[in-house]
Amino acid sequence: MEPIIKIEKLEKSFGSLKVLKGIDLEVMPGEVVCIIGASGSGKSTLLRCINLLEYADSGHIWFDGEDLMDLNTNLNALRQRIGMVFQSFNLFNNKNVLDNCTMAPMTVKKIKRQQAEETAIKQLKGVGLGDFINADSRKLSGGQKQRVAIARALCMEPEIMLFDEPTSALDPEIVGEVLDVMKNLAAQGMTMIVVTHEMAFAREVSDRVVFMDNGVILEQGSPKEVFGNPKEERTREFLSRYLEDK
Amino acid sequence: MKKLLNFIKRDHPYVYLGGAVLGALGIKMASMQPSQLSFLGSSPLLYILAGICGLFILLALAALAVKLSHWKSFSATAFKSPAMVKAARYFSYVLCVAVLLLFIDRPLMSFSVMAGNSTGADRMPDGFVPSMLYMLHNGATFFRMGIWTTVRIALLGTLIAFVLSLFMVTLRIQKPDRQDNDLVRFIKCVGRNFASAYITVIRGTPMMVQAMIFYYAGFNIFKGTGMSVTEINQVWSFFISGLITVSLNSTAYLAEVLRGGIESIDHGQTEAARSLGMTGWQTMIKVVFPQAVKNSIPAIGNEFIINIKDSSVLSVIGCMDLMYATTSVSGIYFKSLECYCIAAVFYLIMTYFSSLLMKAISRKLDTNVRELPSSN
Repeated sequence: MEPIIKIEKLEKSFGSLKVLKGIDLEVMPGEVVCIIGASGSGKSTLLRCINLLEYADSGHIWFDGEDLMDLNTNLNALRQRIGMVFQSFNLFNNKNVLDNCTMAPMTVKKIKRQQAEETAIKQLKGVGLGDFINADSRKLSGGQKQRVAIARALCMEPEIMLFDEPTSALDPEIVGEVLDVMKNLAAQGMTMIVVTHEMAFAREVSDRVVFMDNGVILEQGSPKEVFGNPKEERTREFLSRYLEDK
Repeated sequence: MKKLLNFIKRDHPYVYLGGAVLGALGIKMASMQPSQLSFLGSSPLLYILAGICGLFILLALAALAVKLSHWKSFSATAFKSPAMVKAARYFSYVLCVAVLLLFIDRPLMSFSVMAGNSTGADRMPDGFVPSMLYMLHNGATFFRMGIWTTVRIALLGTLIAFVLSLFMVTLRIQKPDRQDNDLVRFIKCVGRNFASAYITVIRGTPMMVQAMIFYYAGFNIFKGTGMSVTEINQVWSFFISGLITVSLNSTAYLAEVLRGGIESIDHGQTEAARSLGMTGWQTMIKVVFPQAVKNSIPAIGNEFIINIKDSSVLSVIGCMDLMYATTSVSGIYFKSLECYCIAAVFYLIMTYFSSLLMKAISRKLDTNVRELPSSN
């Protein structure tokens, strides 16, 4: 099987600060990969580079065989196939919940309103928000907003979903409702790359855990390997801090 | 409106003081000379109304006396008992009616008699207000035309400027993208610098000078085509050139307003739209501009009000706005101070009602109503 995403020697710096120092990563279709690591280790930047929200300085990213770093690639066409969920939700403030979900399919894929709304309602029901279809997106709770954001991304029927710390802006009580939606999604066979600080989620749901530190992938493997028997001293140090909290 | 109703229906702690002031005013008005239109004259009703005023003053004096003797424990006295306060409130309603009747009978009727005399006079009457009324009446055609021109210039000018500023701000915020080829980069660069220069020049020069330049530039262009002066005046009228001046001037200010609106939109909105596969243009049109324009509505209304006032400088090119009309009237009657006071009142009425309208629109559209400092 071909990997859906293949990253090779990816480098990125902001000014003089080198954030990614040569990343190599492959993600297979249907795989759930969790990226963990301390803040500032380059996790989010890596994710944003995959979606071309940041342009990497050098290296290659292949998505389904097409090189995203090639200047002639149609990025908008590729972005349609890559869903992204942000830490700060980023729902469109001028639209209600349903319009948030139908806008992109209608503008980008030119789908008829009726059909787009049917898909949107199906996805919103899927994340448990069937009763909030006409709600003002600004008036929802954080957990509801994030679930709308997930439904909005799913309406484009993406082949892979990127999650950029989807629960970091939520208070602990409602983190669960978002994680449940993500677990469901993983169970349905969606390919997912999740940047997260939720170690329990990473251990339970992911097929592979990637530990990043200081711009490089220090260690990767099955959750059992990484959490149970980390090879690197730095990984052990990082994980022990989380285990202390539990 | 609701506030006023609540104020009327509520027991007020200063009912005695307020009523006494009203009563004093009532007695003062009752003692004025009756005019020809006075319907109370010196009839018994006048004395009854004045009596009501007097009674309330006596009540208030009694309350004052008790207050002075019971400084600390006034709230425990009969004057502060709920029944007494309520009675005083009902009494104050009667008082208000009495004072209103007296007001209509004396000052208002005297004023209308004076207004009738001034406007009907065949030569300029003496006194400040009578001569204002005389000029207002005899120059009504000028003022009406001036106000109409001012309103049209401000309204149309702001609308045209709004449309143009959307283009201008689009140019202003262009940034070369990684995937652009050299030609697109060049066009974007030229567009951005043009918009930036336009905004700097327009905001850095007075509108009066701009009006002169636009008018004579247009005049010379038409002259170059071999038209006669009469023909030019028909095509390139003072109104058209004035309107163009206001439009082009406001474009620069509104472009900056909109740019502020766009920059205040969270960058995450753009990122979310782009991550869904929307192009830069689709993101601008569907996500960023609607929010930016909505946030800018108070500032756009502010620009409209500024245009009402600032269109007065167009009188230098002969545009027949309110200022030009006022100058014309004052030239006929040689009463400049009175005449410009009339103009001030008209401008104030126009701007005041526009600002009320803008507040209502902002509230309706649920934008955050902010008081904005004038931008010029």
